[in-house]
Amino acid sequence: MMAFTRDWALTPSTLVAYAGATWDWHRLHHDAAYAAGRGLPAPIVDGQMFGALLAELVLGWAGPGAVLRSLHLRFAAPVYAGETVRCTGQVTAVNLDVVSVDLRVEVPADGRIAVRPAGAEVGLASADRLARLRLLTSTGEILG
Amino acid sequence: MKLLTEELRAEIGRELVYTAPEELGAASIRYFALAVGSTRPEYAGPDPIAPPTLICETNQYAGRTPDADGYAGHGWDLDVPGTRLVRGGNRYEFHQPARASDVLTVTWRLSGMDERVTGAGQAMLVVTSTATYRNQHGDLLAVNTETLLYVAVAA
Repeated sequence: MMAFTRDWALTPSTLVAYAGATWDWHRLHHDAAYAAGRGLPAPIVDGQMFGALLAELVLGWAGPGAVLRSLHLRFAAPVYAGETVRCTGQVTAVNLDVVSVDLRVEVPADGRIAVRPAGAEVGLASADRLARLRLLTSTGEILG
Repeated sequence: MKLLTEELRAEIGRELVYTAPEELGAASIRYFALAVGSTRPEYAGPDPIAPPTLICETNQYAGRTPDADGYAGHGWDLDVPGTRLVRGGNRYEFHQPARASDVLTVTWRLSGMDERVTGAGQAMLVVTSTATYRNQHGDLLAVNTETLLYVAVAA
């Protein structure tokens, strides 16, 4: 299978940095007392951050010059400050220079699925890489 | 429990347009890239491009005053009694990378509302919105279809 993965440790500092970078200061994402008052164990990771992580995952895998064409994601369960998430992609199709991938975000510590279904289409710049992917597609290896 | 009232239904089709008060900026792009753990070189330097989802995630263009919870982004301010609001998901189309020198104009449209039932049997109102992002030259940068869920809470 043509799968790729990356882990992100989402520390309280990470959440504060993301809140600042997106001009989103909702207390749910950084204020532990506010979260506790709502029965939550810790501040919640802003769901939109997973879009950024999945885009980074896909572009990192696709290599220099790649262009993300589309991305979709559905939130399945909350992730809390201090947890580590694992983002995984799997190639499902190659059409001309555009590669389709299935994506998911999970919390390895307890197997919780945070984002699924999700997927993206990315345009690859590397002709060699595309040729290799097409070969894998034709042999059925990508779909396992 | 009926969530989709006639008053709410009348909101379908509503539009709000925001134009950022300044350029996106190279520092904002580098800051966002750092926050999501990216070291890609195209996000740094004097004239970087933005990571694709940045313009869909930032509230920089909205210019809204933070509410009591600290939120300063776009919202429809819908009143759906007896529910809690959770994010459903997003569907992004990327047409052209935003650049540091771009000034965003974002058009939000409340495109639909549907009443459904969660897997746990709770009533919920599914609100779908579409945001279209353009720069000061009128170039289409991205389209974001966002789903918000107003899920009924036990009385």
